[in-house]
Amino acid sequence: MATVNASISLASDITDSSIGIANTSALYTAGTTTGLTTMTSVTKVLSSTNQEDLITTGSVSTTHAYVYINNPSTDHTEFFIVTIGNAGSGSPTDTEEIGRLYGGDFMFFPWDVDDDICVAPSVATDMTIEFQVFS
Amino acid sequence: MATTATITITSADIAGDPVNVSKTLTCTKAGSTADLDQTTGLNRVHLRSATQKTLLTGNAEGNNLAAKVYIINKATDPSLFVTVAISAQSIGKLYGGDFMFIPWSQTDTSASLKVAASSWTSSTGDIPVEYALFHEDTDFLTNA
Repeated sequence: MATVNASISLASDITDSSIGIANTSALYTAGTTTGLTTMTSVTKVLSSTNQEDLITTGSVSTTHAYVYINNPSTDHTEFFIVTIGNAGSGSPTDTEEIGRLYGGDFMFFPWDVDDDICVAPSVATDMTIEFQVFS
Repeated sequence: MATTATITITSADIAGDPVNVSKTLTCTKAGSTADLDQTTGLNRVHLRSATQKTLLTGNAEGNNLAAKVYIINKATDPSLFVTVAISAQSIGKLYGGDFMFIPWSQTDTSASLKVAASSWTSSTGDIPVEYALFHEDTDFLTNA
C-alpha cells in the first residue's frame, strides 16, 4: 500500500480579519487507514465543445477515489464545464454541473465512482485538461 | 483582495517515481482576472443525523458566476464519512480527515450543496464539518 498525502492551504484577505486554512490528509481506501494502490495520470487535448467522458467508472476498480483535475490554460476566459451523473450509453449525457474550471483553476474531490465525470470545453481551439485519479 | 488556494499531492511509492503535484490558483471572477470579493468565511457545523442537510443553498443568480467551495470532514475516525451531493447527484464521500475544493456552478436553485452524515449513529458522536465559500456578486442573504 502506498502513502499518498494531499495538502491544501487557503489564504484570503477578503474579510477584515484574514482567513488562513491549512490541512493535510492522508488518502486512504474507504473507511480505513489502508493506503491507496493505484494512480492514473492523464493529459488530454480537446478540440471541440462537445461533452467528453473524461473519467469513466470502468476505469476505477473501487468505490472510493480521489480526483484532481487541472485546467493549465493561462487564458482566464476559457473554461471546462465539469459534470457528473448518469453517463448512459453512447454519448455522455451527464447533466449535473459541478462547476466551471477556468484557466489556471484546479479541483480536488472524493469520488464515489457511481457515475462518470465529464467535461465540455468552452471553445473548440485545443484546450488541454489534466487529471489524476487516486484509488 | 485576493484569495489563493494551493494544493499539494505527494507520494513516494504509489508509482515507480515519486509523485509531486503542486498548484496554486487565485480565485477570480468568472472569465476575468478580477479577484473574488465575497466569502462566507470559515464555518463549522456538527452533523448528528444521517438525514441529508443543505450546506450551501444554490442561488440562480450565481449561474455563470464563479464560486469555490472548500469542505473538510474534521472527524478523527477515518470510518466516519459525509456524503456530498449537488441536488440529487452524489459526488463522493469525505471520510474523516478528507477535504475537497471545487468550483460550484449554481445552475439553478436546485443546485444546492448537500451533506449527509451517512455513517452517523447515536454512538458515533457528532461529525464536525468545516466549510468556506468564496464567490462573486450573488446575494446569498436572499436565501437566509
